[in-house]
Amino acid sequence: MNDFREITPGGRPFTRMYLNVMLWFVGRAVQAAARQDLEVKREFEALPHRFTFALTAAPDGPSMVVGKDETGRVKYLGRRPGDYPLHVRLTLKSMEALFLLFTFRESTATATARDRLYVEGGLPEACAVVRILDIVQVYLLPKPVAKLAIKRYPRWRLKRHTWDRAMVNLRAVIGY
Amino acid sequence: MRLPDYYEFCCRVKIVAGHDALEKIPALLGALHAARPMIITDRGVAGAGLLDVVVGALQDGIVIGAVADEVPSDSDFKVVRRLAKVYQQKDCDAIVAVGGGSVMDTAKGVNILVSEGGDDLMAFTGAGALKKRLKPLVAVPTTAGTGSEVTLVAVIADHEKNLKIPFTSYFLLPDIAVIDSRMTLTLPDVITSQTAMDALCHAVEAYTCLAKNPVSDACALEAISLIAGNLLKVMKTPADRDGRLALATAATLAGMAFSNSMVGMVHTLGHSVGAVCQVPHGTCMAVLLPYGLEYNMHKNGEEAGELLFALAGDAVFARTPRDRRAKQTVASIRALNQDLYEVTGGRHPRCLGEVTGPDGKIRVPRARLPEIARVALGDASIFYNPEALDEDDLLMVLEAAWEGIPLDPARIRKG
Repeated sequence: MNDFREITPGGRPFTRMYLNVMLWFVGRAVQAAARQDLEVKREFEALPHRFTFALTAAPDGPSMVVGKDETGRVKYLGRRPGDYPLHVRLTLKSMEALFLLFTFRESTATATARDRLYVEGGLPEACAVVRILDIVQVYLLPKPVAKLAIKRYPRWRLKRHTWDRAMVNLRAVIGY
Repeated sequence: MRLPDYYEFCCRVKIVAGHDALEKIPALLGALHAARPMIITDRGVAGAGLLDVVVGALQDGIVIGAVADEVPSDSDFKVVRRLAKVYQQKDCDAIVAVGGGSVMDTAKGVNILVSEGGDDLMAFTGAGALKKRLKPLVAVPTTAGTGSEVTLVAVIADHEKNLKIPFTSYFLLPDIAVIDSRMTLTLPDVITSQTAMDALCHAVEAYTCLAKNPVSDACALEAISLIAGNLLKVMKTPADRDGRLALATAATLAGMAFSNSMVGMVHTLGHSVGAVCQVPHGTCMAVLLPYGLEYNMHKNGEEAGELLFALAGDAVFARTPRDRRAKQTVASIRALNQDLYEVTGGRHPRCLGEVTGPDGKIRVPRARLPEIARVALGDASIFYNPEALDEDDLLMVLEAAWEGIPLDPARIRKG
């Protein structure tokens, strides 16, 4: 029977590590943007009490969970979606699809259109999550890269592009 | 044609179409090992005499276990649970759904419960919740528009919680769609024009939005060609059986296209106008379709231009310079709306400001446009639109559609 090689899933340790780091940072950046950016703040305020969402890769790829606590404060909750009752779950069908998204070779919209991303939960809430993630990407990425990740690069005021951007990145680093 | 680097297409529905297709249902059910179907329909279909046509076509070949004609205009959890009990008590083994979107959705909901057991529909929401084949379902559409006879979605309202719950699974695709010209022969003119424009919108958006693919493109182009060639003919000669069959076939093809390629901002806005102001879906589609094409033209003008061949024919296509074809496509759709306006004596509106209710009052007050724009931000079809849309963009489009004036290209923000 040794002639018949068995292949088990897994591997790609560097891809997994890269995605874990990216999701960790994006999760903390969402938390930071919710405190720094008025538009993100408003989006979260309109979401239900204790709203929680996850971005994850199927079947057991890297994940991030972000949610509002009892007081409405937005927090990065870690990388285990199973620990929380989720309102919205955005799932990339494979780690490769998530890698495409987080190497900015594909936008969220294209991933959806190519059947690589599916949504579970309330659709209006999922739309709000995508809008939040788009704003966070503008904060985190240089303009030429961000333009690949979102449909239309926004025209923001100078303060938002400079001061708010610096604060979101700083807050994401220090986790506040 | 731009080929996507990856796409998926699935339509495992057997389509049976013709002037006497209903008579084939007993044999088709037999092939699925079913012999005692339950017919699910609504009072409107029964009142129009269409249920009698279906029963007449079936009863010589098969025992009809039960006939339920109580589906409301908005499918409902309670009704689904009640009809599932009837199905079990009457020992049925298949479902024949005769009607429009609500009937199809209700039948799909009933099929979930009778196939999976229990009465908790909520246990079957979410991706992958349905894991096995359901009971045989035959869909007989009575309008030529929704395409729900070939779609994998059911939206059922939980009126107690005031929620609309979507169910999505390939197992919800009907086994057979029976397209019979008799089912749409007596449709009133305005319903014919609204539903055909709904189908046209499915096809146009499937062809021009982000999830387009070569297989859905083929379905979309044929659907557009059939509608362009037959809609006005049928409006002028309602008893035209061939024309009716062509429109019904177009609706099915458009359904196949959009259920795989999805739709964009015309539906984003149309769903919201319908939800806020209770405007019929087809009316919204007819009015908003030119605006969706205009708004996205800098992104998908090539695709919009390709539609001109199917919409206006080879002569118009050939004499229109390539860089003007997209604009000519929009002009052709506006001209079709104008023709429908005239042939219905003004009952087919050309702009949102012309939409009136049965009492003659304006159905979409201009003051409600901001509310419609806000609601539209939560519609998932916005993901599939080529250009980004925020609340200001949606409002700008709604304002123009309300007045019936073309979009000002200078106001379209290009990404």
